[in-house]
Amino acid sequence: MSAPEVHHLFHAPIPDHSFSADRSTLAVCRDTEVELHARRSPTAFAHSSTLRGHDKTITGVDIAPHSGRIVTCSQDRNAYVWEPSPSAPDTWKPTLVLLRINRAATCVRWSPNETKFAVGSGARILATCYFEEENDWWVSKHLKKPLRSTVTSLAWHPNSVLLAAGSTDGHARVFSSFVKGIDERPEASVWGERLPFNTVCGEYLNPTAGWVHDVAFSPSGDALAFCAHDASLTVVYPAGPEQPPRAVINVSTQLLPFRSLLWTAETEVVAAGYDCGVYRFQGDGEGWGLVGAVEKEGGGKAGAAEGEGQSALNMFRSMDLKGRSGGSVDDTRLKTVHQNTVNTVRVYEESGGKVSKVSTSGVDGRVVVWTL
Amino acid sequence: MANINWRTINIDAYDPDSAFNFDLTTLTPAVQPVSTSDVQTLSGQIRQLVRGGNAEGALQGALENAPYGADEQGKSIHLSVVTEVLGQIRQAEMTPILQRLYQADGGSELCDTLMKYIYKGMGQGAPGSGAASKNITPQATGFSQAGGRNFGGEGGGQSMSVFLSWHEKLVEMVGPGSIVRVMSDRRTV
Repeated sequence: MSAPEVHHLFHAPIPDHSFSADRSTLAVCRDTEVELHARRSPTAFAHSSTLRGHDKTITGVDIAPHSGRIVTCSQDRNAYVWEPSPSAPDTWKPTLVLLRINRAATCVRWSPNETKFAVGSGARILATCYFEEENDWWVSKHLKKPLRSTVTSLAWHPNSVLLAAGSTDGHARVFSSFVKGIDERPEASVWGERLPFNTVCGEYLNPTAGWVHDVAFSPSGDALAFCAHDASLTVVYPAGPEQPPRAVINVSTQLLPFRSLLWTAETEVVAAGYDCGVYRFQGDGEGWGLVGAVEKEGGGKAGAAEGEGQSALNMFRSMDLKGRSGGSVDDTRLKTVHQNTVNTVRVYEESGGKVSKVSTSGVDGRVVVWTL
Repeated sequence: MANINWRTINIDAYDPDSAFNFDLTTLTPAVQPVSTSDVQTLSGQIRQLVRGGNAEGALQGALENAPYGADEQGKSIHLSVVTEVLGQIRQAEMTPILQRLYQADGGSELCDTLMKYIYKGMGQGAPGSGAASKNITPQATGFSQAGGRNFGGEGGGQSMSVFLSWHEKLVEMVGPGSIVRVMSDRRTV
C-alpha cells in the first residue's frame, strides 16, 4: 500500500466532497459556498472557482460523472444544479430546484444514470428530482411514508430506480423512486418486481435503534449495508419481495461510530467516522467481520519527525514550558492522517467493479486519497 | 384572547404529520413486557447462585435476562441484584471473567448490557441520599448492605469504587464502541 495522498485545503469542516470523473476537479463544501479545486500537479490542488448561491451551510455536493453537472443542497432548504457555461471556462450557471421542504436538506446524490437526483431532509422527506423538458425546470416528487425522522443519508441502486435512505429513527429503508416517462421499467430483482413510486421494498432496524449515519448498496445491488450510531455495521441480504431477508448480519465494533461507508467489492466494505481512521470489513452472506485499519500504525507521522531530536535539553524544556514529561514527542496530534471526524467516504478510482482508491473528507479540512 | 399565552401552545398537536401525534414506540426494538414478580423470582435465583459461590454464572444469568420490558420498579430490583453480584467478585477475578464473557457467543451484547448497568448504578448515587431514596424497595436494603459491609453508612462510595474498577476493566476489553452503544440504545435497563 502506498502512502495516502493528503490535501489539507483549509481549516474548516468539510461536510461533503466530490471528485469529477477524470479526477481533475474536486468540489468541497465550505460553509455557504462550494469551492472547486483543480489539480495542478499529481500532489497538489489549487482553488479555481467558487459556487455562490446558497445562504446557509451547504450539506451536500455531487458531481455527475458523465454530464459534469454539479448538484448542491443546503440548510436553506434549496438545491441548485450547476451547469458549466459553454462560453467562459470556470463559470457555472445555477438552476434553482424547488424542493418544497420546510426543513434543512441534509444530503444529495445523482442517480447512476444522471437523470434524477435525490435530496434527504429534516422534514422527514426524501425529495426525488427530475427534469421536465416541457416546463424547463426540475420537479421534485416526495417520498414520505414511512419516514418518521430526519433522513441522514441516501444511496442509489445501480438500476437508478431503487433508493436507500438512512434515518435518525434508526431505520434503513429501501424505496422505489420510479417516475413514469423518465425511468424505464427496471428488471425484477431481489427487492421486488413491480415497483411503482414510493413502494417500500425493505425496512430494517438496527438492534439498538441508534441513528443510521450512512447506507450503501453493494456493487450488484443485491445487498444493503448501513452504519449506525451504535458503532456497528449491518449488512442485509434480501431474499425476495414480501419475504423476510435471507440474512441480516450485525457487526458491533470496539471503535467509535462510523459516519460513512462504501462497498469496494461484493465482499468488502470500507467505513470511516468518529474514530478518524478508515476501516475495512470483509464478509458474505454467512458472516462479516472487521479486518482492520486501512492506514498503517503511525500513518499521521505523529511525532515521527520531531521525536528524533530527543535530548535531555528538550525533555527539560518541554517539562518547563508545556508541563509534560514525555520529552519532545508531540502528543497533541492523533496517530491517524485525519485529525478529526471523517464525514464522507467516496469512490476515487475503480476498475472492473473493484474500487482501488477511495477519498475521504473530514471536519479537519483535509481530503485524503487512499490506495486500498 | 389576551389571556391565552400563545407561546405555550403546542403547535405540533395540530399537525397531523407531526411526530407528536405518532406513537414512537413502534420504531424502537420490540421488548417483552416483564412483570415485577418475575423480576423478583429471577433475582432470587441469581442470589442463590451467588450464595452457592458461582458469581460468574450469576452475572451471566443476570445479564442474559436483563428485564428491558419491566417497569421502573422491576428495573431497579434487577439493578440492585447486578450491583450485588458485581460487589461479590474480587478485583483479580474481574478480567478473566470478562474475557470469558466477551468471547462466548453473543458476548459483545452481554458486555454492552453490563456497561448499561455500570452507568445506571453510577447514576443512582449513594443509597439513602436524596437521589436514590425515592426508589427504595425491599431489595434496596440488600443493595446497601452489600456495598456497605466495610464502611457502614458510606455504602455509596464503596459501590462506586466497584463500578469504577469494573468500568475500567470493561472499557479495556470492549473499547469506546460499547459506551456509544449504551448511549444510543433504546432498550434501557
